[in-house]
Amino acid sequence: MTFLTIVVRGLIRRPVRTGLTLVGISIGIAAVVALVGMAWGYEKSMVKHLDVMDIDVVVSNMSGGILPKAYDASLLDKIVKLPRVAEATSVLMQMLSVEDAPMMMVSGRQWGGFTWSQIKLIEGRMPRDGTESAVVLGRLAAEVLKKKVGDTVQIETREIPVVGIVDGQAVVDNGAIILSLPVMQEATGNEGKVNFIDIRVTPDTTKEETNQLCKQIKDIFPEGRAMVASEVVSTSQGFRIARAMSWSTSLLAIVVGVLGVMNTMLMTVFERTHEIGILLAVGWKRRRVVYMVLCESALLGLLGGITGVTLGAIGLKILETTPAIHGLLEPDLSAKLVLISVAIAVAVGVVSGLYPAWRSSRLSPSLALHG
Amino acid sequence: MVQNAQIGSNDLAFEAVGLKKQFDGGKVAALRGVDLQIKQGEFVAVIGPSGCGKSTLLQLLGSLDRPSEGVLTYRGNSIPDMPDPAAYRAHEIGFVFQAFNLLPTFTAVENVQIPMFEGSWSRSQRKERAIQLLKSVGLEHRLSHFPSELSGGERQRVAIARGLANKPSVVLADEPTGNLDSESARQIIELLTQLHRELGMTLVLVTHDLTVAERASRTIRMKDGRVVVD
Repeated sequence: MTFLTIVVRGLIRRPVRTGLTLVGISIGIAAVVALVGMAWGYEKSMVKHLDVMDIDVVVSNMSGGILPKAYDASLLDKIVKLPRVAEATSVLMQMLSVEDAPMMMVSGRQWGGFTWSQIKLIEGRMPRDGTESAVVLGRLAAEVLKKKVGDTVQIETREIPVVGIVDGQAVVDNGAIILSLPVMQEATGNEGKVNFIDIRVTPDTTKEETNQLCKQIKDIFPEGRAMVASEVVSTSQGFRIARAMSWSTSLLAIVVGVLGVMNTMLMTVFERTHEIGILLAVGWKRRRVVYMVLCESALLGLLGGITGVTLGAIGLKILETTPAIHGLLEPDLSAKLVLISVAIAVAVGVVSGLYPAWRSSRLSPSLALHG
Repeated sequence: MVQNAQIGSNDLAFEAVGLKKQFDGGKVAALRGVDLQIKQGEFVAVIGPSGCGKSTLLQLLGSLDRPSEGVLTYRGNSIPDMPDPAAYRAHEIGFVFQAFNLLPTFTAVENVQIPMFEGSWSRSQRKERAIQLLKSVGLEHRLSHFPSELSGGERQRVAIARGLANKPSVVLADEPTGNLDSESARQIIELLTQLHRELGMTLVLVTHDLTVAERASRTIRMKDGRVVVD
């Protein structure tokens, strides 16, 4: 028999209560995994898109809002003349309700730009040129919309033929409807406007020179911002809000979990007053009793964390298939998220056990024995 | 710890002078001024009617509670002022209770090991000693049984084995036969007497049964919170 045996016996003496408490913690941790996994997945998808496209700098106009505002497309002409710019291409990207899908990414891309060359055709064909009213669908977008080559898709008030299905490697591309920039501008009433200019710098450009380029772009585009690709996600207000919302919602679930564990451990201490009296009478130090109570609550947390991570992973898989999410983002269930979630669960257990453990340390052996 | 001390040694185990204990803010006086000395290795029975304070005395001797007034020492050291009462209970004292007080979710061999977590025993040493102790009390065939699967006499044997786990110098038995039938009670007293003879520890046994008290080498009679005959 080890000390762990004693701890485990303490939990299994009331299996129903322990089980219910585990369910409470698991739900909280599952919420963390699912919500944070989605937020991180959204970020990861954007990072992958920037990486696959080999984009070094992104020019946008967030203007304090969540979504980028459209701006004059002629800015591109000034940008391509700046030193260290190897290539630049414009994009007009919007999240639109398309047919039965509540939110789809629709990406109008400058014809001939590098954002076209990085996507791989898997069925059908690409648009012939920048003027053709035609779309290609990312493979995930095709699944969500249930469209194939030859169908049409309605964007705003226009029915546009689907000419191809593509694989863009990142969910941002695979979940998108992609068409040429002028067709997108016309369909959405944004003639002459873009909301992203993606830039590739020359191969020998240093980090400092890239930062300098960003400053130069800021000078010619004061209301906007040029960001190094690696900082796009971390500085984006939209991503920050998504992250904050996922963590704050998870926090609520965690608080409920804490209260559940604390209630269970308090009940445990009350019910085992006599037993604690026996332990003190046979010579256990108070700190050993405290340690036992804390270990029980930490073990509750750990088991709840493991169960919660499993539930959260299943939840993420289910969420991934729902029309609202499918094709929009790819949830990220990384080892880091699993470890953080389990660590939170153990911390919940330990914190919840502090007060009950303190209560157990206050018991008088003689009163506890006769209680 | 005293190993195999001679019975009736001149060295004192316990000394009480003017020992008092009150409960409920002084409304209940359990001990009203007890003076006594118990030598190391003695077998002392404390008898008296219900409510005379004998169990309270035992609790004070074992540092389960603190006196309200008076002096109480163990080998010359004040018990209430001990810096580590838990260590005193772990290594000097073995308790045997009327209600057995075994942990219900642990087997016999596990119950005996519980006090040993405060010693420097390894896992295998704990188990080995627990098995040996249970054999010495005649329970080698009941090692893996839970208290609910044992008779009253068997439970008390487990409790005695547990009380001896850390090789204490003193065993305090509070009405150890109170919840037993006469045959089981006889066996338990026989066992305690035998263990006292073999191990030489100080044995203080509280009882209201005169036939049990007769087995001791000395009897202290209490009434109304005082020692009336010693």
